[in-house]
Amino acid sequence: MADHKQPPASTPPGVCRGRLAEESAGGADSPAPRACDDRPVVLSTHGLTKRFGKLVAVDHLDLAVCRGDVFGFLGPNGAGKTTTIRMIFGLIFPTSGYAEVAGHRVPGERVAALRHLGGFVEVPAFYPNMSARRNLRLIGSAGGDASEGRITEVLDTVGLLTRGDSRVGGYSHGMKQRLGIANALLNSPDVIILDEPTSGLDPQGMKDVRELVRELGKVGTTVFLSSHLLHEIEQVCNRAVIINRGRTVVEGPVATLRPRDEAVKVMTGDQQKAFETARALFGAQGVSWDEGYLVVRAGDEGVPELVRRLVADGVAVRAVVPAVEQGLEEFFLGLTQSSDADGGRGEPAGRRARQPCAAWAASSSRSSFNGAPTSAGRVCWPCRC
Amino acid sequence: MPLLIVLALDLSSSKPAPGEGPPFFAAIINNGIFVPVAAIGALSFFLLPLVAAMAGAFPLAGEAEMGTMKTWMSRPVGRAGVLFSKWGVAILYVVVGMALVGIGGLLAGWLVFGIHPLATLSGTTIGIGAGLERIVLANLLILIALLCTISLALFVSTLTDSSLTAAISAMVLFVVLTILNGFSYFDFMKPYTFTSYNLAFTNLFREPIYWQPIRNALLVYGVTVAGLLAVSWLIFRRKDILT
Repeated sequence: MADHKQPPASTPPGVCRGRLAEESAGGADSPAPRACDDRPVVLSTHGLTKRFGKLVAVDHLDLAVCRGDVFGFLGPNGAGKTTTIRMIFGLIFPTSGYAEVAGHRVPGERVAALRHLGGFVEVPAFYPNMSARRNLRLIGSAGGDASEGRITEVLDTVGLLTRGDSRVGGYSHGMKQRLGIANALLNSPDVIILDEPTSGLDPQGMKDVRELVRELGKVGTTVFLSSHLLHEIEQVCNRAVIINRGRTVVEGPVATLRPRDEAVKVMTGDQQKAFETARALFGAQGVSWDEGYLVVRAGDEGVPELVRRLVADGVAVRAVVPAVEQGLEEFFLGLTQSSDADGGRGEPAGRRARQPCAAWAASSSRSSFNGAPTSAGRVCWPCRC
Repeated sequence: MPLLIVLALDLSSSKPAPGEGPPFFAAIINNGIFVPVAAIGALSFFLLPLVAAMAGAFPLAGEAEMGTMKTWMSRPVGRAGVLFSKWGVAILYVVVGMALVGIGGLLAGWLVFGIHPLATLSGTTIGIGAGLERIVLANLLILIALLCTISLALFVSTLTDSSLTAAISAMVLFVVLTILNGFSYFDFMKPYTFTSYNLAFTNLFREPIYWQPIRNALLVYGVTVAGLLAVSWLIFRRKDILT
């Protein structure tokens, strides 16, 4: 990993723009538990490992979710997310390591731990021939106590109050997911685990569920949200970990997960003149063309200066837009695939050539790439910079 | 089933002579009190074990099939609690089924043949109250025999997530054991298989009650149930709950 580029000087990696910016100072370099500062860790895993024969599904995973976090648990399908969640619930047994919920170890003190934990694994399952209310009454009575008032409350929270008395069999997929969230909240646990709650939903259903999770986060519910969609995690979470092949790839405040790239696309009345102006300011390295647009890596400080110059030179500035308007999903792919490098899976050479916003991920000290050869190009090919 | 027996015996022109047919069938014509005994005795060879196998298999494997097992196991409940409450539910199913047979049979027998003091297998006669007591005891003994099949089905359902597989496997095992009991070659294992004590309940209708075979049956039933439950527990406590 010798060829790291330095990140843009104006914005060092690890600066948290999220709602918990105060924790970023130490959070970037230190192991996850310390990222909580003075908030208690409600859910953690310690060297959690699960082998299925030769396959290592989860490999010494260390996670820490602090009280009040909406914690994103991100990874492609097959990364070990569901296996991890099953181990946290005590549904399957780890090969080594353990999970800890509110100070109780799983699997050792599973029942005590589950008193502080709610949620579902994969798809929430209920009795289709019973009403939502009856399902909650029945399931909530197992090792807990579910008063009618509380059932009404959680049904209201997830927006199912008016349909609470109809059969769950007649529910849409989105309604079942929301009922799963209601069930998770029922006994007011310290943390709820939602396993891909938006998977298989239509756009409206996705939006509803995401908004619901965001609302839960706002009122202080600690949520552990697994997903394979980076933008989803970005929308609703404050901290996140990206895993692949059962190992941590990147973790930290969500704002720092996004590729930081200061390039902007510029459209003016006189592109040639603008090109010269920009080159004078930022050097030949900092300026390139993309489909008629001028792509300038100017940094946060540089953009206003460039616009000032252009205006002063009499060049009509028509548009200045961030160059990375997509990139998140592909960026994510790049991260997870680069940690696949030892598995021999390469990506198309043409795509690999696309770069170079590599600096962010490759040099960021909080990311660990498991020792896989991580050339800048590999990590960052997705970014259209 | 008891209604069928009553109808068949009442309508048939050739009534079974004493000592003919399955146990107690011949006695029914003279005394309706034998209907529940004859019915439960006849059922205990196949249909009741089938019900027991299904009742034992569905509570556990059925939850796994519906995907609700993980919903339960994500709640703060112990695995032992889940396993043994499922066992309890299975017993409840069978008890309800047996109660229907017993009460239905008694009513039908009373209406068609009337109820009289019982003539025991030993030739003496006991009162109706004492007779009903024996019938309840016989039902209890058969229930305990069925616990073996229930526990067998529960055990298989800890190995599979398919309730049908569990029920059928338990039933197949039951039938195979019953058939083996029929061959003298396998006589050596007869004392140890729960299926060979099906007729132990008839000894309750001797005067005085002939306890020896009943004690043997209870011992074998007890060991079988305890063993199956222990193995079920050993498997279920470490089982991966995936659905």
